[in-house]
Amino acid sequence: MSTPLVEAAGPHSGLLASWHAWWAEHTRLRRFLTRTGVILSILWLALVIVAAIFAPLVAPHDPDAQNLLATNAPVSANHLLGTDDLGRDVLSRLIYGARISMEVPFMTVGLALVLALVIGLVAGYRGGRIDYLLMRGADAGLAFPPLVLALAVVAVLGTGVGDVALALALVFAPGFARFIRGQTLAVKEESFVEASQSIGTPPARIVVFRVLPNVMTGLVVQIAIALGAALLAESGLAFLGLGPPPPAADWGSMLREAYDNSLFTHPWSLVPAGATIALTVLAFNTIGDALRDTLSGTAATAKRSRGARRQRGLTVVDRPTQPAVTTGSGAEQVTTPALLEVRDLCIEFDTAAGPVRVVDDVSFDVGAGRIVGLVGESGCGKTVSSLSILRLLPSPPARIVGGSIRFKGQDLLDADFAQLRQVRGRDIAMVFQDPLASLDPVFTIGYQLTEAITLHERVTKKAAAARAVSLLESVHIPDAEQRLGAYPHQLSGGMRQRVMIAMALSCHPSLLIADEPTTALDVTIQAQIVELLHELREQEGLAVLFVTHDLALISELSDEIAVMYAGQVVEHAPTAELFAHPAHPYTAALLAATPGVRAVEGRPSLMAGGVPQGGQFPSGCRFHPRCDFAEERCSTGVVAMEALGPDRQCRCLRQRELALPGVGDALGSPVTLHPVRTL
Amino acid sequence: MGRLILRRLVSIIPVLLIVTFAVFFLLALVPGDPAVTLAGGLNATPAAIAHVRNQLHLNEPLLVQYWHWLTAALHGNLGTSLSTGQSVSQQIAQRFPVTFGLVVASAIVALVVGIPLGILSGVRPNGTLDAGSRTFSTLGLAIPSFWLGVILVSIFAVHWKIFPPTGYTAITASFTGWLKDITLPAVTLGLLVGATLARQLRAALIDALDTPYVRTAWAKGGTRRSVLLRHGLKNAAMPVITVFGIQIGYLLGGAVIVEQIFSIPGLGSYMLSGITDHDLPIVQGVTLVFVLFQMATSLAVDISYGFLNPKVRVS
Repeated sequence: MSTPLVEAAGPHSGLLASWHAWWAEHTRLRRFLTRTGVILSILWLALVIVAAIFAPLVAPHDPDAQNLLATNAPVSANHLLGTDDLGRDVLSRLIYGARISMEVPFMTVGLALVLALVIGLVAGYRGGRIDYLLMRGADAGLAFPPLVLALAVVAVLGTGVGDVALALALVFAPGFARFIRGQTLAVKEESFVEASQSIGTPPARIVVFRVLPNVMTGLVVQIAIALGAALLAESGLAFLGLGPPPPAADWGSMLREAYDNSLFTHPWSLVPAGATIALTVLAFNTIGDALRDTLSGTAATAKRSRGARRQRGLTVVDRPTQPAVTTGSGAEQVTTPALLEVRDLCIEFDTAAGPVRVVDDVSFDVGAGRIVGLVGESGCGKTVSSLSILRLLPSPPARIVGGSIRFKGQDLLDADFAQLRQVRGRDIAMVFQDPLASLDPVFTIGYQLTEAITLHERVTKKAAAARAVSLLESVHIPDAEQRLGAYPHQLSGGMRQRVMIAMALSCHPSLLIADEPTTALDVTIQAQIVELLHELREQEGLAVLFVTHDLALISELSDEIAVMYAGQVVEHAPTAELFAHPAHPYTAALLAATPGVRAVEGRPSLMAGGVPQGGQFPSGCRFHPRCDFAEERCSTGVVAMEALGPDRQCRCLRQRELALPGVGDALGSPVTLHPVRTL
Repeated sequence: MGRLILRRLVSIIPVLLIVTFAVFFLLALVPGDPAVTLAGGLNATPAAIAHVRNQLHLNEPLLVQYWHWLTAALHGNLGTSLSTGQSVSQQIAQRFPVTFGLVVASAIVALVVGIPLGILSGVRPNGTLDAGSRTFSTLGLAIPSFWLGVILVSIFAVHWKIFPPTGYTAITASFTGWLKDITLPAVTLGLLVGATLARQLRAALIDALDTPYVRTAWAKGGTRRSVLLRHGLKNAAMPVITVFGIQIGYLLGGAVIVEQIFSIPGLGSYMLSGITDHDLPIVQGVTLVFVLFQMATSLAVDISYGFLNPKVRVS
């Protein structure tokens, strides 16, 4: 906290300036404190607490002064909330009631915290048998219905303020203790704690100075919520007649009095005390929820969604009414249209800071029976592009803001959900990166396979099951029939990905989109999957769009490759040509950085820097800050995709003058071609 | 599955021992000499005190006392009421079905309210319906059950006279009578638990619908129904069921309050009478039954969790 204060101290420093700097520095705190709900809650609680402390000064009347001539008086200037059945001023009673109603929750939570911190820190830090015993104790505490435990303790102790607080503290402590223990266990593993241990800091010191501050952060949320719950419980006890002895009254016993004496005659008398309790609990909960959001940092983005237009399971298309005429992509095919034609695709993500363009003007084709690789570093937009074809990106945050995706001539961006559903799984199927996460954990693979079939075809369950077996066999899964009853977690990684592929093939699609399908698998399995895809192309004429960052892998698989960088396609060429004569410096750099596909003179070299994030793309050529060949002109203007041959395009101003090093054949044995300069 | 149930049963034994000891220990917490208190306080005759002392083995070590108490409890003997002399176990046996009926009816209300609301707002977060449902959930967490109860009474029983304000008809005597009497109490408790349920289900559904396997389900060509209700809901159900198990504890505590508001002769009002009369055997007996009830519910929740989650079931 002190650092920004000091740094802010410039020539015009003053308290105000440093306050401004500090305020600007603490985005989270600012976001938390400027929420309307939080402001109102803090104001309300402050009002209640101040009124409670200064009750004798604030209360307009003596709370216990009866006036039997003015019982159940309506709201008036003298009695802002009227009087009760004994003619006592309701507002004054509420204000005095706040003393007990607010004191008990704070005492309760304070007591519970002391108990729980001792139990939780010791259990979590010590572990072993002590931990076991303490946690069984906590389990036992949690086994009681909360109010029942409090009632039982109050039955024995009595109903004084301290007794009730102690009883409620016993209710809250076990939950706190569990939470603190969990946090302690997590913090204990952190390196800074291990470091303290290794230099011989005594455990008590580590717990108090290292573990405790970290635990407290998460605990703040629990405390806020517990204050509300304690108020509810305390009022509940008072309502049951187990509150402070009359005439002193807290809010719960005021409500009880109103219920007993005025239910039939003056139902409005039920409102003030009940509403006060509810509002106060609401204030505690609001602060707790906001704290949770702030601490987890998830709050801001959710609000920005355009609620009305979002649809589950379909990316929103937000194009200009006239689909843009293809401009400058140079990717037009004069011949018959390809199976899949992606043209000038633009995708934006709505973020807290406004829309961010993550895919910009992307065009590529996948011809029938062709295997096309879409490659690039992580974050270059290749996965986003591949998911957008079947419009699987969730909206919010994604919006497709331009271009077209034509499949067999039909623009998928014009399709509605029902039309697209027919295409998904039947004409175009997908295989994803992480097969364990991509298969539903609670359904058997037999169910998931047959579902893929019955969603598109009217077949009996039996016929679908038989087909599921033959599908599993076709991807070389042994004991296919037994596997139908298995759950995803029971299969090996390679087996799961075969199941995913089998599922994708269930309706004989003409295009398979595979998004990093082998990344999570080991090398042998990778090779088998690649083999399998080859086989399927030969047998079924399947076209494949293969998304990967692995150039060695794609060199063995694809007919052509589109290289993406920073949301754009920067080079598109037949595989062999791309490897032999990369035209874009980025492609050449990728090749040089790929083990197994080594450029001649260069050892596998690593490119400096990373892919720029969406919204932070540099002007000019997006690669120029990392490019060894960049010139002055590369940093300004827009660099367009230009044709370099009948089936090659490249997005580089110097593509004709540079002769970049490639590799001799796609299998990675180094052959000298046009070495100009090693990257 | 059998092994899972067995493992759970074994794992609750230490908790059960601590819990029963805690209930027994209430006696030791009574200020002063419990024998005097139990024999009737200041008016107790020395003979009565000696009798109580003997009967409860108060001269023996604490653990021996616990053992006597526990074996008696296992035989269904929870002692006799000090004020009425009736058998506590018998009273509990009579009143348990009343509270059980109230809890079940409230749970049904909670499910009927919470599940559709949770689904609708989880499927379309930040929509209009979601805003309403979230307001409802937020209020449900803040409004005290006793306030909602008395408000419902004042509207539906006093003002509109649709339901009786208080009273109870045994379900065996007249089902419609029971239904009429139980509706307001069950709505009081059920609405508040339903609010929590809706909130949890919404969050769980939003999480589930954001997973790669749901993306797979869309990519397969899943209909909205199959993706949202089959893949989404079955996965979202698991965390929600755990929460619902915890909420049963809230229902039991809430039952004490609601029985008081509506004059329902269940365990809650029995416990309260025990507290006001300083009749400790009643308090102990009812507390024990309540805690066992909740533990049985948690066990049932654990087991049903096993049915839903193949990972737990198979391993």
